[in-house]
This record gives sequence, structure tokens and C-alpha cells, in this order.
Amino acid sequence: MSSDFYQTSILPFSGIIIKLCRAYSNSQEDFEDYFQEVCLQIWRSKDNFREESQWSTWVYRISLNVCLTLLKKKKSKGHHFVSDSLTAEETEDNYAFSDESLNLLYDAIRQLSEIDRAIIMLYLEEKPYQEIAEIIGTNPNNIGVRVKRIKTRLKKILDGKIY
Amino acid sequence: MEKSIEDIWKEGFLKSDALVAPKINNLYSQKSIHIIDKFKRMFKINLIAIVAFSFIFLLITYFNGMLITGIIFFVVLSVLVIINKRLLNDLEKIDKGASSYQYLKTFNDWIKKQVSINERFSRFMYPIIFLSIIMGWWFIDAEGIPLGERLVGEVLYGFPDIYLIQGVPLISIIIIVLIVGLLALFGDRIYKWDLNLVYGRVFKKLEELMADIEELKK
Repeated sequence: MSSDFYQTSILPFSGIIIKLCRAYSNSQEDFEDYFQEVCLQIWRSKDNFREESQWSTWVYRISLNVCLTLLKKKKSKGHHFVSDSLTAEETEDNYAFSDESLNLLYDAIRQLSEIDRAIIMLYLEEKPYQEIAEIIGTNPNNIGVRVKRIKTRLKKILDGKIY
Repeated sequence: MEKSIEDIWKEGFLKSDALVAPKINNLYSQKSIHIIDKFKRMFKINLIAIVAFSFIFLLITYFNGMLITGIIFFVVLSVLVIINKRLLNDLEKIDKGASSYQYLKTFNDWIKKQVSINERFSRFMYPIIFLSIIMGWWFIDAEGIPLGERLVGEVLYGFPDIYLIQGVPLISIIIIVLIVGLLALFGDRIYKWDLNLVYGRVFKKLEELMADIEELKK
């Protein structure tokens, strides 16, 4: 992967890639694995990009696919801590943000199903429902309802923890 | 008042330095270690399976009267395991701390050496295994006399003018020599086919990884 490609085609989207990888990993080592694999796959699949969607949508879609694939691989290898939802206790202590509220929110997000995690993060990144639907591969009409349901669930998990 | 999750998200990332992308200059380090570890695991399992098989086969041949086949199998496979165990010891010595490319390159060199040694060994192994099966079959007890001799007797009854060498029909010797020759000639290819069947996917990944790294180095 050339440095130019990384600078122009990956780095501008690294924020969401990092956020996504964080939601599917539970240690710094895992996170770095996920991030590197995402970068690699974006680079490898760059020639398959047909400009039918925006480059950002393509990047998010690949990031999500890679995260889900790695999660599945880890599950099949029998990593006990990787499940549909990761509990707060299962994440490593040194794998935390400096902002405590954000840590609690991430812990709550990790308790969601794999797809719900992606939807809520894309929503929080202010992606339009149409783009979220494109990335997830579902009907845009469902996204609104689903986001509402996920937010209710997150509020329930976070109930009273953040002010 | 409780914060909304949207506010927590925005404010959290504004305050946080968590969005610094990890360095990717050693992008392939973990991948290289994983792929080689996977190969090592498969290689060890393969050796254990060969040892187990040679013991089980020895027992089976003991009970079905083909002990000579079992013993030869056992000896040949033991030599194979010893050779490959020594090769595996060399593999364990490869420095993981070296750069990913160096690590993969050293591993690739090891693979080439391993393949070359096993190819040479296979040229002997397959013919010996074939001969051991023939010998085992020949000496199976058939009502007091070896099965081979008994069958030759029956063949002679139908074809009394058949040419024999040391009591064995010449045509059988020619066929056996031909098969042994072919196995000796193609032993290396049989080994390679077997190797690709077991490790083909790992080798493909290794090739892709090396190609990626080479492109990256340009």
C-alpha cells in the first residue's frame, strides 16, 4: 500500500474506522489487528470500487465487513470473550478513552448485536439513513425505527450512569 | 440532567485523543506471525498424525498377517517424522523479532529447504511403501503356504508355459519394476500434490503476503 493511498484514501476516514474497530475489539492489540486488516482490505479492494457509491460508503462497508469477519473468526477459534455482545468487565483496563462517559457509552454499544453496533455508530457519525442502509445492506425505511430502538436500549443500559 | 448519547459521543471524541490512527509501518507483523504459527500448528499435527497412523497400521498388520508391511511402513514413516521434526526445530529458531518481510522470507527459505528434502525422500519412500505392500500381500498365510506362491501355482495351472524368475512370473516382476520406477520418478510430484492438499491455502496466503510486502517496499 503506497503512502499516498493511505494519506488520501484512508486517513480522511480513519476516524470512523477507528471508532468501528473499537466497537468490535476489546483490547489494544485486537484493535490494532482490526485497524490494520481494514486498511489492507481497503487497499486490496480499491480496484473493485466502481463509483456507484461514494468512496466513504465503500470504506465504511469494507470496514464493517472486515470487523464482522474477524469477530466471526475469533468466535470460531473459541475466544471466550468474543460474543455477540461484550460486557464492560471483559474489556481490558488499559483499553479505555480518557473520557469516562465515552467509555461507558462504548461499553454499552459493545453489548449490542453486531449489526446494531454498526448502525448506531454510523448514526452517531451523522450519516444519513440512506447511506447507513447502503452500508449495512438493508432498506432505508427500517433504519429509523432501528435507530430509535437501539437508542432506547442504550439509554436503558446507561440509565443513571452518565449525567 | 442526563446527557444524550449524541452529546456523549461528540464531546467524548472532542476531548479524547483516541482517534490517532495506529502506526501502520509494521502492518504485516501480526499477520506474518499468525500465518507462520498456523503453519507450525498444522505441521505438528501432521507429524503426530503420521506417528499415530504408523502405530495403528503396525497393529492392524500384526493381526491381519501383513506384519512385514506394517514394520516397513513404521520404519519409513519414523524416518520421515525424524527428518521433519529436525526441520521443525530449525523453524522454531527463526527470529520473530526480525521485520515481517525478513521473517516471511526466512520462513519461505525454510519451506523451500523442507520441500526439497521431502521431495528427495519421497522418491524412495513411495516405491518402498509399494514394495512393502506387495511383500506383505505375498507372505500372507494361505492355508500353510504364502499367498503369493499359492497364486503363482494357480496361474501356472492355467498358463503352464509362463516364464518364471526365482518362482515369480516374469510379467509380474516387469509390472512391479515399472510401478516402482514410476513411483521413484514421480515421488516428488506426489509429495507436492499431497503438500498442496494440506497446506495449499497457507502457502497461497504466504505468497499474497509476500507480494503485498514487496509492493509496499517499492
